[in-house]
Amino acid sequence: MTVRPIGAETEAPAIGHTVIPSRWAKFWARNGAGYAFLTPWLLGFFGLTLGPALISLYLSFTNFNLLQAPTWVGDDNYVRIFTADPRFLQSLRVTFFFVLFSVPLKLAFALAVALLLNRGLRGLPLYRAIFYLPSLLGASVAIAVLWRELFASDGVINQLLAPLGIVGPSWISNPRYALWTIILLSVWQFGSPMIIFLAGLRQIPQDVYEAAAIDGASKSRQFWSITLPLLTPVVFFNAIIQGIEAFKSFTPAFIISGGTGNPINSTLFYTLYLYQEAFAYFRMGNAAALAWILLIIIALFTGISFLTSRYWVYYDE
Amino acid sequence: MRIRRRQFLLGSAALITAGAAGFRPASAAETDLRQIFWGGQERAKRTYKANDLYSAANPSTKLTGEFYAWDDYWAKLATETAGGNAPDLIQMDYRYIVEYANRQALAPLDEFVGKELDLADFDKDQIEGGKVKGKLYGISLGANSVASVLNEAAFKEAGVPLPDNNFTYDDVMTVGEAFNKANIRGGMKAFQDGSGVEPALENWLRQRGKGLYTAEGKLGFDEQDLTEWFQMWKKFRDAGVIPSPEDQALDTGGPLDKTMIALGKSAQSFVNSNQLVAVQAIMKDPVTISAFPRIGKDGKGGHYRKPSQLWSIASASKHKPDAAKYISYFINDKDANLVLGVERGIPCAASVRDAVAPTLKAQDQVALKFVSNLGDLLGPIPPPPPPNAGEVDIQLLPKSQEVAFGQATPEEAGPAFVQQAKDILSRKG
Amino acid sequence: MTSEAARGPSAVGGKKSKRLNVILAHAALVIASIAMLYPLLWMLAAAFRPENEIFSTSSIIPSAISLGSFVRGWNGLQVSFSTFFINSFVISVLSVIGNLAACSVTAFAFARLKFWGKNIWFALMLGTLMLPYQVTLIPQYVLFHNIGWVNTFLPLVVPKYLAVDSFFIFLMTQFFRGIPRELDEAASIDGCSTFQIYWKIMLPLSTPALVTAGIFTFIFTWDDFFGPLIYLNDMKNYTVTLALRSFVDSTAQSDYGGLFAMSILSLVPIFLFFLFFQRLLIEGIATTGMKR
Repeated sequence: MTVRPIGAETEAPAIGHTVIPSRWAKFWARNGAGYAFLTPWLLGFFGLTLGPALISLYLSFTNFNLLQAPTWVGDDNYVRIFTADPRFLQSLRVTFFFVLFSVPLKLAFALAVALLLNRGLRGLPLYRAIFYLPSLLGASVAIAVLWRELFASDGVINQLLAPLGIVGPSWISNPRYALWTIILLSVWQFGSPMIIFLAGLRQIPQDVYEAAAIDGASKSRQFWSITLPLLTPVVFFNAIIQGIEAFKSFTPAFIISGGTGNPINSTLFYTLYLYQEAFAYFRMGNAAALAWILLIIIALFTGISFLTSRYWVYYDE
Repeated sequence: MRIRRRQFLLGSAALITAGAAGFRPASAAETDLRQIFWGGQERAKRTYKANDLYSAANPSTKLTGEFYAWDDYWAKLATETAGGNAPDLIQMDYRYIVEYANRQALAPLDEFVGKELDLADFDKDQIEGGKVKGKLYGISLGANSVASVLNEAAFKEAGVPLPDNNFTYDDVMTVGEAFNKANIRGGMKAFQDGSGVEPALENWLRQRGKGLYTAEGKLGFDEQDLTEWFQMWKKFRDAGVIPSPEDQALDTGGPLDKTMIALGKSAQSFVNSNQLVAVQAIMKDPVTISAFPRIGKDGKGGHYRKPSQLWSIASASKHKPDAAKYISYFINDKDANLVLGVERGIPCAASVRDAVAPTLKAQDQVALKFVSNLGDLLGPIPPPPPPNAGEVDIQLLPKSQEVAFGQATPEEAGPAFVQQAKDILSRKG
Repeated sequence: MTSEAARGPSAVGGKKSKRLNVILAHAALVIASIAMLYPLLWMLAAAFRPENEIFSTSSIIPSAISLGSFVRGWNGLQVSFSTFFINSFVISVLSVIGNLAACSVTAFAFARLKFWGKNIWFALMLGTLMLPYQVTLIPQYVLFHNIGWVNTFLPLVVPKYLAVDSFFIFLMTQFFRGIPRELDEAASIDGCSTFQIYWKIMLPLSTPALVTAGIFTFIFTWDDFFGPLIYLNDMKNYTVTLALRSFVDSTAQSDYGGLFAMSILSLVPIFLFFLFFQRLLIEGIATTGMKR
């Protein structure tokens, strides 16, 4: 079957015309519909996003203290970041650790709950609402207080551990565990990927399962050979989005550590460091350089994900 | 290559908006002063009431106040200033005023003194506190001093007399041991771990005849000082008379509700004198304040009266004389100050102070008396800190935690921090 | 509920083992629910505690119930919270409309149309997701300041109509790609224009995706504080989330009871919004019946 691309249908009337269409008309005929639909985004991209982004790129080659004119310093910022900035390295370490653990854990949790909820149990809307509740909180100021109540030395977690004979540390303020409490916060707010997984699960046609059941495929086999493959586009989407979000993660650390990244810089997230440089230390030029380095790191991560997606993401195309 | 920042930003913005500028509403005939400050509702209520009084007396001036929490305040102010939209009246902090003044974001106020701005009755040391490189950039809104806030009930329970202004660092050890023996409230300690508290370090250094910074903007202490500082706190820590490193790290150096005294981990915390009321608000036990410990019986001059906050005028303001007139009213008017109270600190105009004093609540009286009765503990106001001093302050806490958690010895951390501080101060841009 | 119960894979299998499975699943869900909700219950309890007891106990059962925090909180600022709720609501609803309209047409173009440079545009679209907002903030502020939009809702709402939120474009593109192509090919043969295919086929078929995007937009907009912080000056224009931050200043006296009480109240509208539209999430899918 030859698949005629949509958007090409405007070509049809042009054929009967006696006037030879100009190259522009040809371009329009082939691309017009696409660009027409893309117009709002193009306006936003060129009007609101690209300009500020290019300015920040320029600023990354300057010293800009926010209050006075920027002065051109060439690649000084970048050189300093890569050669003489221990806090840059520390913030990279923290961020990579966070991405490495929070993203898979969050996705696994979201998928597991979505699968449980998708079994047609009674009270699904209630459960779904309950599991989404923590995500509603976002990065509310109240979270900071809450997390301390849970993870301080005399917090709820340790009170629960006490009967088991375990004397827990002060999780949130111990440099060895503090980052884990933030990972836990991120996993706790697994609502968004869960909803997306649920919607994805519901897109899987039921008859595929029925056919498989007739063929005698076991439940776990059905999961591995039907559910998961058909869900891969959604898994891919969630992984990309959560990955990018995790690299850019700012507010949880900002709120929990009071913007400091302590104890001993163990929760100094990349964007937290960037924010400190920009707004606490008035080094917007350096912050802009940090931002563009992060962009390249995320782009590499996303690019690699897209390259590998060919081998494991299943599209109906 | 050097481009004027505003031209550049405006230019690029204009390109993007393609001539959309020019829609800005024309300003009204009356003077509209925008005012921005950090603080809570209590401060906002008092300030707005004072503003109403001012507008009643000066009908042609309209005041629009905005307030934000500390963390949000500086991001908002920096963005507005960089965006060419700075408010006329800016509440400044003693440290940030240097950063803003050095970068020409604030207007020098000297030309208004004696005209719109009446400082005749104003404390001389507080005028000095608003100067950067000899020019006046901010008017102090209240004199303030560092102070130990003390949990009176806990000291009573432990059977230990409250520390007074003759308390020494040696006493921290004895009092701490008494607390441990009494074992109250699940092992509450007497003093907090102050090794990461910059004001405590500064106070200690000043008693040793040094300071955080010299008048030339160089580091005012050396490796030996800082090593001894970390050693002293390690001694307390090893003896178990201060909270564990984990507990102490709950205090991120910001919100008062995370201080050791508020969390019930210790019966004392290092704060500022005007925060007594705020600490009391989050605590059940009665609290009071006292001086920071002396380094020995004859240690003196550690404290100083610093501006708790200052009013500054943006260099971009179109209504500088009007703003100066408002500041003058704010610091000198008795009715306004009866409304404002000592919420921002002790008023710096003598006649205002006398008028306000009798109306104060007991705890405000305590703060007022504390600041005016420091005696030999009071020293001169230090020179304004150099640029990037804020970053040095922020780095002290993680360095002290390295020692506390055993990742570094005092002998390693002392020189390491001095080196780090020097690196930070030498950075440009 | 019956139609739903028949959908899951568990519809197939022995009756007894199915029952056991259901009980186990419920047990797991209930335990997980408690763990999920505990922190929120703590906050709820804190809101009802008398002011001086807020930090004194980690128990979630208050010793005495006090509505004081709610009363104090509601009128604790110069402007009452009813104004903040209205502002948040207006901004959030306008954002939902803008995002759904603008992102769905963009996603349709990326998922279904062929045009020159598509892959480049798509990569650029994703690229805008990757730049931390902290560094574009000031140039953007200058821009909005110069068109005179500061201290209005416009900087918060208008960008949504220009599809600046790549997350939603990406989300919808992925969903559109999951819809069988045969449908729009058939429509195309029947003489439907590209717009008709978008309007009459893609949109109705992707109700779940639209509802998901709508719910997320509403919640993200409601929770956002940095945008409102930077662009709104007059307290009469504040959103709930921004107003909440005015409760806690680290250097002065803070009203934590009021903060918790208002935090709880601020959750109510987004929770209701979620509850109401999550029904559409199911119905949308049930009515389309994604059979091939």
